[in-house]
Amino acid sequence: MKLFEFVADRRWVPVTGYVFYVAALTAGYYYNLTFVQLGLIDLGTRLVGLSPRDVSKVMAVLALTTLVVAIGGGILMDRRGWSSNLHRKLRGLLAVISVQLVLTLVAPVIRTPAALLAWVVVCSVTLGTGIPLMFSTMIDFIPVRDRGYIAGIVAGLSFFVAALYPRQWRIEDFSVVVAGAMAPAVLVLGVLSFRRFAFVDELARQHEQFGTGRFCRPAPVRTSSFVFWLLIVLMFSVFFIDSLGFLRIMEAPVYISTSWQSPQVGTRVFIAVTHVAGALAAGVIYTNFTRRWLFLWIFGLFAFTHLLYTFDLRMGSTSTPPLVLPMFYVLAVSFYTTLNFALWPDHSTATTIGVHTGLGVGIAGWLASFLSTSLALYSEAIGLSLLRHLTYVNALALLLAFLLPVALYVRRMTTLARQGATP
Amino acid sequence: MNLELVPMLIMTLLLILSGDADVDTAQLLLRGRHTVSDHAGALIVGDASVTVPAGAHAPGPIYLIGGRTRIDGAVAGDVRQLAGTLVVTDGAAIGGELQRIGGTQEVAATAAIGRRSTVELPTPDRTSIASYIPWALVTGLLALVAARRARRNPTALTNMRRAVAEHPVISLTVGALVTVTGLSLFVFMAFTLVLLPVSILGLLAGLVITGYGIIAWGTLIAPRIPTTRGGLAAGAGVAVVMVMLELAGGVPVLGDLLVMGVLLTGIGAVMVTYFGLQEYRPVTLPP
Repeated sequence: MKLFEFVADRRWVPVTGYVFYVAALTAGYYYNLTFVQLGLIDLGTRLVGLSPRDVSKVMAVLALTTLVVAIGGGILMDRRGWSSNLHRKLRGLLAVISVQLVLTLVAPVIRTPAALLAWVVVCSVTLGTGIPLMFSTMIDFIPVRDRGYIAGIVAGLSFFVAALYPRQWRIEDFSVVVAGAMAPAVLVLGVLSFRRFAFVDELARQHEQFGTGRFCRPAPVRTSSFVFWLLIVLMFSVFFIDSLGFLRIMEAPVYISTSWQSPQVGTRVFIAVTHVAGALAAGVIYTNFTRRWLFLWIFGLFAFTHLLYTFDLRMGSTSTPPLVLPMFYVLAVSFYTTLNFALWPDHSTATTIGVHTGLGVGIAGWLASFLSTSLALYSEAIGLSLLRHLTYVNALALLLAFLLPVALYVRRMTTLARQGATP
Repeated sequence: MNLELVPMLIMTLLLILSGDADVDTAQLLLRGRHTVSDHAGALIVGDASVTVPAGAHAPGPIYLIGGRTRIDGAVAGDVRQLAGTLVVTDGAAIGGELQRIGGTQEVAATAAIGRRSTVELPTPDRTSIASYIPWALVTGLLALVAARRARRNPTALTNMRRAVAEHPVISLTVGALVTVTGLSLFVFMAFTLVLLPVSILGLLAGLVITGYGIIAWGTLIAPRIPTTRGGLAAGAGVAVVMVMLELAGGVPVLGDLLVMGVLLTGIGAVMVTYFGLQEYRPVTLPP
């Protein structure tokens, strides 16, 4: 790793960049994962009293607004040159996190649908703005060679904390934890944004060396290219499959004992540690193999995971399910989350990272997650059984696990056909 | 899941498949505490604690491959114990056969048992030299294969050795992922029963890959063996690795972790080099 070289050479400024990136992304992802995605459901159903169907509509509003703002923000960043201006990004992040701190504090007192909708709209604007700002800092802080490992560390740490705390998915619990973590972040960002520091100036110049992503050499990946949109479709599918199955599984009483909400601390620790191991493994594979292997693993793992769950349901098991079920789920989730952190910056340059992360994380991450979460809530509301629901999820995962190698094979065949048959 | 359960689980499924019980209703209890009274069909007890309470009539059969099972009531069918602990108390009844293949048993003299049988399997006694015969045979076989490969296709061994030596983290990661996924997949296949032969073949292939991984480690040690004969050095290297694994296995926790790490790294090295057919080269990244 390049990080070890920096440490050996006592170059502490680049090392500070690593620390900043890991801390910021871990906190940001934890916030999105728990407070927004899970806390919002609790806020809507328990405190405001909406039905799951109405909450699914609210989440769709959140997803679409976030998407539009993320893309708009990304375009603005690239056009104005802010994508390669770390000082601007830090100021932008300060604004985003300050508003999110206020949103976090007021969330538990919301009681009416109108207030909830207003909260969601403001929240989605901050999320949308934060996506290109936050993800694009990778070009300032992390060299291309280390991106897979650092993405793995961020994914592993976020899930590790989320699996262990808070124990109850209640907006009040989330609010306390998240506000407590945000306050010092606002302070640090405030100081870094409004005072000039030599080490920040040095970090701001690093994009000249780190800015061109792994897949942009020798030629940059264009936004309109087939490869870029294929990746968006693949990542959209991955996020969609995950969230579609996750919510229903986590709410099934039989599976609560082996989930994030398990009353057994040992089970939660097992899940947390598996998240870290899975994310680090994904980091190693991302760094040392081609993209296709990682996607094949992800789809294969999801297909196998849902096969295990549907098999367990079909067997009509009423006892505690084996931990192998959540283990594979956790591995699959850690794999794709790691990929999501590193993939978009590695398909960008310092002049395209705003749009690429806006599109990539916006469409493939937020839109897919919230659309599938909405769909999962809807399927619950119309009384679709867990087995039937997971059968659909499983079918989708199997289809993608089958289509990806077929597409790769056909692509290779097309290339060979264009070259003509050789003896 | 305890990995030691896997072969016994497959053996149990083979027993069920051979007509012992209705396979569709078989249930596997892998962990936790359970009280069984009216479960219809075969019951396989893994690392769980299972009780058939007094007054209950469980149809059976019950297969014990681990954990602890206590019978206070009645079991109509057979009880077959491959491992784990079985306690049959006063007043309990087993209508079929109580067969002990392994594990520990505590059966009250007044318990009503239809038939009792014991299959005596040789117990490995680590104090006698004879207990090391299987280990020595495996070591000899692997050393022979290594020596033969070193003479006929040294490039394949070189490729695997370089994967272990130059890319241990990558080999370990791939080995761990392949092992965890493969093992679960094959156990899952075994449960479908239709795919049981594939599952057994898969596990055998896994053993071959593990053996090949040990050969990869052996070739890493081979250059340090004071001989100019490549085949002999490779064979001796494998023997050294096997001895080291055996010694490390005797150290609790740390030794087990070391053995697991060595085996998984070897498996990974075999996989990333396609059994040594191709040198593993990570993708080239900018500095």
